[in-house]
Amino acid sequence: MSELLTKLHAFWSALTTYWISLPFAWQLTLKSLAGIVAIMLPLILTVAYLTLAERRIIGFMQVRMGPNRVGPWGLLQPFADVLKLVFKEVILPTNANRFLFITAPVISISTAFAAWAVIPFSNGVMLSNANAGLLYILALTSFGVYGIILSGWASNSKYAFLGAMRSAAQMVSYEIAMGFALVGVLMASQSLNLNDIVLAQNGGFSHWFWLPLLPLFVIYFISGVAETNRAPFDVAEGESEIVAGFHVEYSGTAFAAFFLAEYANMILISALAATLFWGGWLSPVQGWHFLEDTPLAFLVHTSFIWFAVKTCVFLYAFLWFRATFPRYRYDQIMRLGWKVFIPITILWLVLEGVAIVLKIPPWFA
Amino acid sequence: MVQAVIFIVLAAILIGSALGVISARNPVHSALFLVLAFVTSAGLWILLEAEFLALVLVLVYVGAVMVLFLFVVMMLDIDTTTMRQGFVRYAPLGVVVAAVVVVEIGYVVWTRKLGVTFGTPVTHAAKYSNTRALGDVIYTTYAYPFELAAVILLVGIVAAIALTLRRRPGTRSQNPAKQVRVSAKHGRIRLVKMPSGRSRGGEAP
Amino acid sequence: MLQNYVPILLFLICGFLFGGVLVGAGFVASALLGNRRADSEKQSPYECGFEPFTDSRMKFDVRYYLVAILFIIFDLEIAFLFPWAVSLHRIGLFGFLAMLLFLAILVVGFIYEWKKGALEWE
Repeated sequence: MSELLTKLHAFWSALTTYWISLPFAWQLTLKSLAGIVAIMLPLILTVAYLTLAERRIIGFMQVRMGPNRVGPWGLLQPFADVLKLVFKEVILPTNANRFLFITAPVISISTAFAAWAVIPFSNGVMLSNANAGLLYILALTSFGVYGIILSGWASNSKYAFLGAMRSAAQMVSYEIAMGFALVGVLMASQSLNLNDIVLAQNGGFSHWFWLPLLPLFVIYFISGVAETNRAPFDVAEGESEIVAGFHVEYSGTAFAAFFLAEYANMILISALAATLFWGGWLSPVQGWHFLEDTPLAFLVHTSFIWFAVKTCVFLYAFLWFRATFPRYRYDQIMRLGWKVFIPITILWLVLEGVAIVLKIPPWFA
Repeated sequence: MVQAVIFIVLAAILIGSALGVISARNPVHSALFLVLAFVTSAGLWILLEAEFLALVLVLVYVGAVMVLFLFVVMMLDIDTTTMRQGFVRYAPLGVVVAAVVVVEIGYVVWTRKLGVTFGTPVTHAAKYSNTRALGDVIYTTYAYPFELAAVILLVGIVAAIALTLRRRPGTRSQNPAKQVRVSAKHGRIRLVKMPSGRSRGGEAP
Repeated sequence: MLQNYVPILLFLICGFLFGGVLVGAGFVASALLGNRRADSEKQSPYECGFEPFTDSRMKFDVRYYLVAILFIIFDLEIAFLFPWAVSLHRIGLFGFLAMLLFLAILVVGFIYEWKKGALEWE
């Protein structure tokens, strides 16, 4: 037994000396790859269970059971779905542009995942501490539109094309409102780095940005729902008119890739809303010292738990919206984005600028 | 060393995709090659530690300008054979323009005018924010060109509307606000007082 | 600073690889284990059971172009707002007024497009 321990110890020390002897570039690459795996695997699992949660929660909201047969409480349902999708026949429509038809889902999914590189999961725990983190996310989101446009065009199908055009116009419209809302966050935090943005909200529930930036917060989240083409803004896939929008012609894993990208984007929007407006990994009961000596002390400290809880609240809101609101008409969607959100955000940015220049307490002092 | 490898890979992709832009048969493919060219040049700018410019290049050119290009290219029925004929006719002009650009670039680089210098780019500390460094000067030192940019954008708005805004005759649309504002009292239902069918007192005949 | 972008580059590459493997695996698995019986009816674009009789790449409402152009302009505006927001506390009142003028000029454009009906979706 002790022999084994010493062997293990020797192995470990050999490993550490080897690690130290590695050039810096290799260390960085290996560390990054480990981080990428540590982000992507839980993310894929979360997506899998988000699909189950969506069906169960909406089921309960509509007083029915939802999937509950595969495994206990239906917990193995996502794996059954994946297996089914993998063995589905892949159909390439005639006259489709094959290369782009296959590339489009890959673009969708890679942009949806890569944005997670700059999200802080706990204090300083992020894959890349890039200074322009928020700008990077915005740039990637704007790149995500290509997956949709290309899939719609490459399918050579009328429904797919209509869905793609609608979806692209809708996404770009709401990206403006979203960008303005993000500028408000930047003004308050004075940094583009997401970890710094969280740190700028330090001080408890009332110091988080949702309160001074309340209209921007609401607009950001609604734009996020529109940006991910989720209900009630899902005219891009409106089943009742254009069947499934840009991914009508997709089947099997190519379809699964779009599905994965949509849900990963939902989680991303929720995580961003939590990070930018609800203080990320900060505790809402920060400074409640009487809890320090109780078993509940962990609640007071900043931790990943709070980040996860806040993200889940927003995710629940996504599902709730879907169960509650009827679909918007397309002209109403465009009107909301251009004529309601943009004026409100511009006005609020000016007000916030005045508050910052005059150093109005309590938030901008 | 690593940077050099990344630079060479990115530069090779950039040149390859730039060639793809002018040689692809399908205009949609050309546009996508241009997207790839923008993305790789953004990578090159990041190598120069100009992160703000690089990300804005992706945000504005890839996310907005090329979306417009794709909208246009995808929806026009472009006949590739007529395009080929045009290619021969416009080729000399293209060659002249390309030659002028090459000479200009060569002149600027060769004579080192316009502040062109060579050497390794300045490296910055990990906390250096390129965005903040730009923000400190754009709105103060360069406030005048900045306002000019606003005027140019305004002209862009007006021009875009003048060129593309067409009212389609005969479209029918509802005014939801008007629909919502409807009330039963004003004009929708007219309540008329009428005597009941039965005459007072007696039986109906 | 560059070392912050190495993970991002790797993540982008990994994302593409993951997507490629996922889609590729579907092709392989469905070819090996599933059915692969393609016929012309199955491969024709889906149009609710009707035979497609025109090319699907049709002409589109010019409004989509207008939305895209206006989006470019507003996107540029946002690009200008980002450095301003980050350094507003350092450039003080002058910087604020410079941006106020910038926004005022663009709000004129916004009001123009509103009044012209460019934002109506009929």
